[in-house]
Amino acid sequence: MYRIILSLLLVMVFMAPQAVMAAASNELANVRWSVHKDAIEGTSKLRLVIDTTGPVTVKGSLNAKTSPNLTIDVKGATVGSIDSSVALKGEIAEKVSFVKKSASSSQIIVDLPRMIEESDYRVFTLPSDIANNKSFRIVIDINKPVPKASYNFTAGLKDKMIVIDPGHGGSDSGAIGPGQTQEKTITLAIGQQVQSLLERAGAKVVMTRQTDVDVYGPNASGAEELGARTKIATNNKADVFVSIHIDAFSNPSVGGITTYYYQKSGYDAMLAQNIQDHLASSGIMQDRGIKVAGFYVIKRSEMPAVLTELGFISNPDEEKLLNTPKFQQQMAQGIVQGLESFFAQAARKGGGS
Amino acid sequence: MFRSKTLLAIVFMFLMTFIGGCANDNDAAQLTPKEENKSTEQQVAIPDNQKDPASSNSQEKMIITVYNATKDAMYLVGESHVVVKNDHPAQTAMELLLAGTKNVDLLSVVPSGTALRQIWIKDKIAYVDFNDKLVKNNKGGSASEILLVGSIVNTLTEFHDIQKVQILVEGKKIDTISGHLETGEPLSRSEKIIKK
Repeated sequence: MYRIILSLLLVMVFMAPQAVMAAASNELANVRWSVHKDAIEGTSKLRLVIDTTGPVTVKGSLNAKTSPNLTIDVKGATVGSIDSSVALKGEIAEKVSFVKKSASSSQIIVDLPRMIEESDYRVFTLPSDIANNKSFRIVIDINKPVPKASYNFTAGLKDKMIVIDPGHGGSDSGAIGPGQTQEKTITLAIGQQVQSLLERAGAKVVMTRQTDVDVYGPNASGAEELGARTKIATNNKADVFVSIHIDAFSNPSVGGITTYYYQKSGYDAMLAQNIQDHLASSGIMQDRGIKVAGFYVIKRSEMPAVLTELGFISNPDEEKLLNTPKFQQQMAQGIVQGLESFFAQAARKGGGS
Repeated sequence: MFRSKTLLAIVFMFLMTFIGGCANDNDAAQLTPKEENKSTEQQVAIPDNQKDPASSNSQEKMIITVYNATKDAMYLVGESHVVVKNDHPAQTAMELLLAGTKNVDLLSVVPSGTALRQIWIKDKIAYVDFNDKLVKNNKGGSASEILLVGSIVNTLTEFHDIQKVQILVEGKKIDTISGHLETGEPLSRSEKIIKK
């Protein structure tokens, strides 16, 4: 028994250095890259894939000493037939270079246009996958960073410029409920109530539409119609942009309120959370929370923006509620209170940092 | 005897560390985005006898994963289908997506009447062309639009040779399906919508 165990241990001890020796002849063989846009969240990331001839271990670190870069120490592979550097010509990274450190180690240096956060990159390895003709790989993912916010908000609604966007309109009815209620009618009714409440509080309000019309014009392309809405916000130098929508789904029992944002100004998530909290506090509908989405109007507008989905028109109970002036008033109040608490919180944060 | 028991314990611990380490590696692999780590688990799922080169081609099977929505419209869930292997798995995947789901806990998010016109792959981008029912029969709502775009893109990016998906309607790019999400350029997989 003892002998068997001892020999087992011996075998294990001898196996370890063999693995290291095998790794010593490994090389970085090939590099490829591409920028990926998340289908739903709209966020972009750069993915670099480096093929290696065998398994390696990697460790990444951010450096700002000379110029911003992400350095990956590779143990178990030297620089092989790979190009010594490759231009990445992007907003996310400028160049990747490969530096030989020893016969069994190397460095991958990714030059960045500006410093990123630790949470904005990820480095990992993948084993070879013979069935799919893939070798061992090092994968480097770098998120497109959110630019530093340049906004500086004061508390209160007075003199704020707020653009309200009642979703859909004109030739585009939006979603239609089982009782034939059209989304465009409800979004306009609630939007107009938001306008009157905000104006009473001293804010300046610009509506993307005041009546049942297409904002760009009938039969425009999606980009023309949605672009016309964000252009109104840009041209009016809006402090914030609020797009009002009603949701729909094939299962009629699904209901609730969701507020979507796209983190681009540093304040979008804060705006979404404040509005969602005040919309959901009535407790009339389920709180589906805040979510990230690359929706055109909230991604392409420059200022903090949200797209809020006030219930499901496909849900017969919620469709009835959506038609009542009381509910419309409650939703409008929720948005206005959310805006007020947003400006208070943003003012405390201050300095756009 | 005591010594051998101690040694046995040491060997046991050693082995557990080793096995534990392997298990962790697998977890890490599963967490990595699919486009670089395709279908490793799925291939494990294929019974050995079906991989046997002696078995005739017509009996060779492949596993296709198709994404449908949870009933609360919050997430997508992948369903695996074992089908006879062919040379156009991406087309088969879209046909399975359009056919809907038999799982009572899931719902198809594809508008009624939607049909596949054609699909082709170039430079790791799948160009998937639907008829106009994809837009015309769409019932609106951003929850539906998110799940629809996610189900098409995530189903196709299950394949290792597809990294991005360009949605087309009647042969043309469309800016948006129902007025919220942008679909004018090739889109990559969205992991967060998948129910964990």
